[in-house]
Amino acid sequence: MTAAIVEKGAQAPAPADGETPPPARRKARQRKLDDGPPRWQIYVPLGVYLLFTLIPFYWMLLFALRPSGSTSLVPWPMTGEHFEKVWTERSFGTYFLNSTQVGIASMVMTMAVALAGGYALARFRFRMKNVFMLALLCSQFIPGALMLVPLFETFRGLQLINSMWSVIIAETVFQLPLSMILISGFIKNVPESLEEAAWVDGCSRLRAFAAIVLPMLRPGLIAVGSFAFVHSWNHFLFALMFLSSQDKQTIPVGLNTLIGSDSVDLGALAAGGVVAAVPVVIIFAFIQKWLITGFSAGAVKG
Amino acid sequence: MTALPVAPAPTAPGPPPRKPRTIRPRDTPQPRPTNTQTETHDQERDSTMSGNNSRRPRARTLLALGISASLALTATACGGSGTETGSEGEGEGKIVFWDNNGGVRTEVWKKIITEFEKENPEIDVEYVGIPIADVQSKYDTAIQGGGDSLPDVGMVGTAYLANMVAQGALDPVGDRIEDSPLKGKLVNGMVESVKAAGGEKDQMFTVPTSANQGVLWYRKDMFDKADLPAPDTWENFYRAAEELTDRENNQFGFTIRGGAGSVAQALEMMYAQSGIESFWDGDRTTVNDPKNVEALEKYVALYNEYTPKADLNNDFTKMVATFTGGEVGMLQHNLGSYTDHVKAFGEERIGGLPMPPSSEGGPRTLVSNPVDGMGLFKSSGNKAAAWKFIEFAASAEMNSLWNESAGAIPAHTDAADDEWINKAEPTKAAMESLDDPNTKIVQLPYYLPDWNSISKADTEPNFQKLLLGRMTAEEFADDLAKRLNEAQVEWSEQKG
Repeated sequence: MTAAIVEKGAQAPAPADGETPPPARRKARQRKLDDGPPRWQIYVPLGVYLLFTLIPFYWMLLFALRPSGSTSLVPWPMTGEHFEKVWTERSFGTYFLNSTQVGIASMVMTMAVALAGGYALARFRFRMKNVFMLALLCSQFIPGALMLVPLFETFRGLQLINSMWSVIIAETVFQLPLSMILISGFIKNVPESLEEAAWVDGCSRLRAFAAIVLPMLRPGLIAVGSFAFVHSWNHFLFALMFLSSQDKQTIPVGLNTLIGSDSVDLGALAAGGVVAAVPVVIIFAFIQKWLITGFSAGAVKG
Repeated sequence: MTALPVAPAPTAPGPPPRKPRTIRPRDTPQPRPTNTQTETHDQERDSTMSGNNSRRPRARTLLALGISASLALTATACGGSGTETGSEGEGEGKIVFWDNNGGVRTEVWKKIITEFEKENPEIDVEYVGIPIADVQSKYDTAIQGGGDSLPDVGMVGTAYLANMVAQGALDPVGDRIEDSPLKGKLVNGMVESVKAAGGEKDQMFTVPTSANQGVLWYRKDMFDKADLPAPDTWENFYRAAEELTDRENNQFGFTIRGGAGSVAQALEMMYAQSGIESFWDGDRTTVNDPKNVEALEKYVALYNEYTPKADLNNDFTKMVATFTGGEVGMLQHNLGSYTDHVKAFGEERIGGLPMPPSSEGGPRTLVSNPVDGMGLFKSSGNKAAAWKFIEFAASAEMNSLWNESAGAIPAHTDAADDEWINKAEPTKAAMESLDDPNTKIVQLPYYLPDWNSISKADTEPNFQKLLLGRMTAEEFADDLAKRLNEAQVEWSEQKG
């Protein structure tokens, strides 16, 4: 809107010297529009929201860093005993590595298949396309727990029980529908004429896709990929059910083992929570710009 | 997909050949239909507009229905019909052991396994820790999946033993115990609990290893400061709850369990106060007996009066954290949280007593707590080695080691006099109350397949309503009793 006003202002008759400011009323209105609402109206709600959001994180850090038995509200004296315990005694080092493998593999597989499927949905018309889209959406209503036994039997038949591939495949399959729909939205935003220009220059469809469309999908791919990774990183059920060896378990399963039937080591639990949260926080800190761009781009067309 | 060319796009040449037949680039014009085709399409359109089912929409509808049906069928597909029967094996090689309280007990189990492997170098035990909250789902999924991914040995609690026995997952172990050094060395009460929970008359499906017991934990230092007697009678308990509460300074006399697990604890409080000695009166439960209802009313009246308001959502983790936070005088929980309390306050500031008797000087009434045990899985291909491991882990020395770590009551009679028990006052007091011939044990119906769903998912929300005053104690007890009576009738019919 500001740009429109500036443009409108530019069309007004120019003052003789070209330096004279616009009339006072217009100037005040301009400043008001430029400044937006008073700052307190932004920072107070943001501050309250942040308080609610950050208190659980503070609680987690407090318990992770203060010694066992301490009731202090500040993590002082600080100790690393809980981190050492979860990382070595409770095998979080191994779990961390396993979660990373599952997260990266399912992210790569999700992105690869979602790109192909999303391209087909965006660029081709074919029979039953709408039914297919509907089926994709409907598949989102089926909870993972309901599919446990059929999936278990399928992986058992494929001899993939207690193999990381069972978790990677299950995570990929469950994330594909939404990822495909999102990616197809991003691809629809890329003008088809750009691809056609590449075809005129002799590119194959695949080459045109790789050279023209793919680079323009970066925000969307980052959004979809990060969600795939974070979902796999946090997901508990498939890892618990399909993996039995201790050295193949993932972080969420490890976290749950810190809660016993009758007792819980809150320090270790909080330290485990920090270990689980740090990669996700780092990923979001780095990609937030792309993430917002990606989702706003996908939101324009569906 | 076969590769047949589609109509060329008029505005762009399109990528060179090899385009699938059934798809075409978006916005590319269709090949012009012949007159006959046009007529057919027009007829279809007309018939649709006139309300008749056209061929295309019907096909789509059918396909959509087909997909929905197949999804539904896949989603609800049944698993295997049971587990395969394994074999005795050579008594050597690898066995897999699932711990039902993985993480918390990992360290002590690894010690036991190391000792076992030293004595039996020909056997290799693979330890797998399962989070306690999900162990039943893990077992169920593995059983439904055919059973070949079940372990050789697993820790199984009486709370879900009946369910696993009903699915045929476990081998009976009674005969094996008769031929082993464990014969006559297991605490009789635990053996009876295991038999009752299995639901197969006198068959034993686990070797009991430990039991738990409800305890009233209290802060000795707070009681001393307020000059209050220990909560060894109900009168002392309620008086302390009131006098230790100072809401202005955020101090409370008691913390109540309002979230997950609330009903089991409420039952413990009800029967201990009412003194009713049996869970069943014929085929009707005594849960809604007026004495129990009165006890329940007194118990829930503590909420938000002498307890924090946030207790409404207390599971055991939050409840123990509230207590160890330092501002609460008493807590009702089992022996398992002893180590947490000692860690928070030190042994000298924490006391633990069994549930007080219903009348001063009278006998105690305690509800049966889940008994943990080791199960031998039917699908095991190495039962001889698996049984050797069970025998070893249930032996006096190892059983004592395990229970010292868990703060629970050992199942091996020879472990009962070990030094650590004499040092751990609450454990000793719990054992003495169990050994007291006057003590009455109310056996909870763990054998009912619906017990877990009734006592958790079905009635825990009602308990929160009760705490909030949206339901009366009588309504709560009647609803619970109705569900239990129905489940009992169903179970009796199934058993003939």
